[in-house]
Amino acid sequence: MRTSTIHSYDVLIVGGGLTGLRAALRVSDAGLKGAVISKVHPLRSHSVAAQGGMNASLGNVLGEDGRHDSWESHAYDTVKGSDYLADQDAVARMCRQAPAAVIELEHMGMVWSRLEDGKIAQRPFGGAGFPRTCYAADRTGHNALHTLYQQVLDRKIPIYEEFFVLSLVNHDGRCGGCTALEIMTGEVHGFAAKAVLMATGGFGRIFSRSTNALINTGDGQALALRGGAPLKDMEFVQFHPTTLFGTNILITEGARGEGGILLNRKGERFMERYAPTSIDLAPRDVVARAIVQEFEEGRGFDGGYVHLDLHHLGEDRIRERLPGIRQIAIDFAGVDPVTDPIPVQPGQHYSMGGIDVDIDGATPVKGLYAAGECACISVHGANRLGGNSLLETVVFGRLVAGTIVKDMPSLPEPDIEPVQSAMEEADARIGQILEQEGGTPLITVMDALKETMFESFGIFRDVRSMQAGLAEIKKMQEKVSQISPGFKERAVNPALIRYLELEGMLLLAEVVARGALAREESRGSHTRTDHPDRDDSRFLKHTLASIREGMIEISYQPVRLGMFEPKERVY
Amino acid sequence: MNLIVYRYHEGMAEPRYDRFELDPRPGMTVLGALFEVQDRFDDSLAFRYSCRGAVCGSCAMLINKVPRLACRTQLSSLLAGKNQVSLSFYPAIEETISWNPEKEVLVEPLPHLPVIRDLIVDMQAFFQKYQFVEPVARPTGTPPEDERLMEPVAVRELEVYTNCVLCAACYGACPVDGKNQDYLGPAALATLYRFRIDPRDASGTVRLDRADTGNGWWACEFHGNCRTVCPKGVPPILAIGRARQELKSEKKRGERP
Repeated sequence: MRTSTIHSYDVLIVGGGLTGLRAALRVSDAGLKGAVISKVHPLRSHSVAAQGGMNASLGNVLGEDGRHDSWESHAYDTVKGSDYLADQDAVARMCRQAPAAVIELEHMGMVWSRLEDGKIAQRPFGGAGFPRTCYAADRTGHNALHTLYQQVLDRKIPIYEEFFVLSLVNHDGRCGGCTALEIMTGEVHGFAAKAVLMATGGFGRIFSRSTNALINTGDGQALALRGGAPLKDMEFVQFHPTTLFGTNILITEGARGEGGILLNRKGERFMERYAPTSIDLAPRDVVARAIVQEFEEGRGFDGGYVHLDLHHLGEDRIRERLPGIRQIAIDFAGVDPVTDPIPVQPGQHYSMGGIDVDIDGATPVKGLYAAGECACISVHGANRLGGNSLLETVVFGRLVAGTIVKDMPSLPEPDIEPVQSAMEEADARIGQILEQEGGTPLITVMDALKETMFESFGIFRDVRSMQAGLAEIKKMQEKVSQISPGFKERAVNPALIRYLELEGMLLLAEVVARGALAREESRGSHTRTDHPDRDDSRFLKHTLASIREGMIEISYQPVRLGMFEPKERVY
Repeated sequence: MNLIVYRYHEGMAEPRYDRFELDPRPGMTVLGALFEVQDRFDDSLAFRYSCRGAVCGSCAMLINKVPRLACRTQLSSLLAGKNQVSLSFYPAIEETISWNPEKEVLVEPLPHLPVIRDLIVDMQAFFQKYQFVEPVARPTGTPPEDERLMEPVAVRELEVYTNCVLCAACYGACPVDGKNQDYLGPAALATLYRFRIDPRDASGTVRLDRADTGNGWWACEFHGNCRTVCPKGVPPILAIGRARQELKSEKKRGERP
């Protein structure tokens, strides 16, 4: 046994990105004892890579005809963008809070790009009726994350860095803490808490061609599912139209917001044919599908990419507004956008689905909460608009932490004993993994999973390919027990961490697959060639996946409408 | 090609170097090569990673004797002798093993921080120094209802420093950090200067006091390695020079003891 003492907190926050850190501040401001647990140093969280910006109807830049933006207009664009699958009360909450969330970050010291009049700058983004996206050049996530981290340091909130959470502690039908592996020492720690907030981000790395950080393996969703909380709408996976050919590093939508255009092999501005009004700034699902169609009709470049042309913006504007993009294109593709077009292709980008929570961020498991990309509250529905994910992190990081603060008096003191037994179980499990025998290399299963997900559950889906994909996933799940980590020590064991990640990834892959197969319609990012139309009569509802007797079970939950009636989406 | 990798863990008397023969794909980075080793040869090889796009700051290490981000460094450009960097010499970049830079790439942990295992160093001292400079906004008065206004030009000046990803490449490249473990180092000082010049900040030049010591602004010897190796183009040397200038003129004017 290599277990340590048990740490006790009021609130444990799993994940140190924007959501987790914003939540930690709220918990600390309420005088509660909270801590952040993260498998990486918080500044290495994927939030840091967010480029384009954060939507808020500040109205610093007026729309066409001098109209002023409003939260209602933001909500309408978000709901329409979601293909009417978003819960409209949650959307309204987010959009109302948006201006305050942006201003709050500014007051905390975040550096935003500015207009000549000194106000926070805003740029147009896909699917938005106004120039609504507040930005810090193309490093918005970086500036926001560093600012929140500074605030967390200033309040001396404890952070357990490089701790990999192994399990949630379930006891009497509620969550009372977690166990975690201290990566650098190999020790298993126990954490007892009245409330646990999951803020672990997305699961993009179950796909090949992902813009996500390598750490985005969906650990939080897998933990929650095993811990009794359902996952919602997991089949809705966003494919971003412009990821760098070769490495799939994100090229922000802000590049098109600033005036960049997409061109096919024949030099045609093909988006004019797919979205006559919005053209290059149609929502991401629309543009990603259009690019794949260009490939299929022979108008893509060899290898599968189109051009994103920025050169007409001029060097000054590129240097000022898109310096990070320029550097990425130079470093990773050998192309300077000042003179040459950037080769781009669609790639996995965002997980709309996640841990099922109510409008206050509570899961059905008492004591367990979730917010940010790992959760599905649902503000993005079937397709997220650019600029809404950074917004979601800070708005719901704060609000859901507020829910916890409010619920605190009704949450019982955590029991130590179940934490102790969970630690012993987790410790035994690690021992078992390290002793496993078999000849399957981890990387073969990992690579096969990613390819299967991209091929069978990518931008275009159909029943045959998805069934074949699901069969592959089931086979891989069985193979996992034949993977034998070559390295047998507990301290600093990368093979062990990657094994633990892979187990969760295979579980989530099955959830995505089952949700996608059951949803016989096309909506937002979920495009089925065998069911090309949206079917509100059968599928205007959320998918829920739970584990029952070891099997994934699918059920449904109604969508909360109220402000906007579902209509056809035209851009 | 060969990747030569520094290996060390607790209990080893001496670090050793392992050679791995790789057939690099076009565009393969040092980070990609390390994963290749982990996946195909030795799954115990330890290194930090996250974004693989040069924004998170996880993977700074000593590559061919220069501190760089592994994710942003292409094997082909190293082997072709491109992106040569000339640093002011310091002991940590002395020859440790002979290697042929036309056929081999040498990867070692970032200098000036204790090695935990292989390429993973203990960043605690680095972040303690960051924390020491109190890197948090202390704005003037009660916050207005809306944003505080800022000139675009002020933002451009600040961005030079806010672009820092805290990867510690500068810390591993600074000759002074190598000989004085109490020196705050380039990243922490650049961060402190970033708050000094933030027009929204109420502290003014008082901010500079925090490093007005022999281990702060005044320890820098202006080698300039920090600026040379920074993957984000941040110039700590400039911040340090300006802070010293400001302190000197205040002292001269009798505004400071």
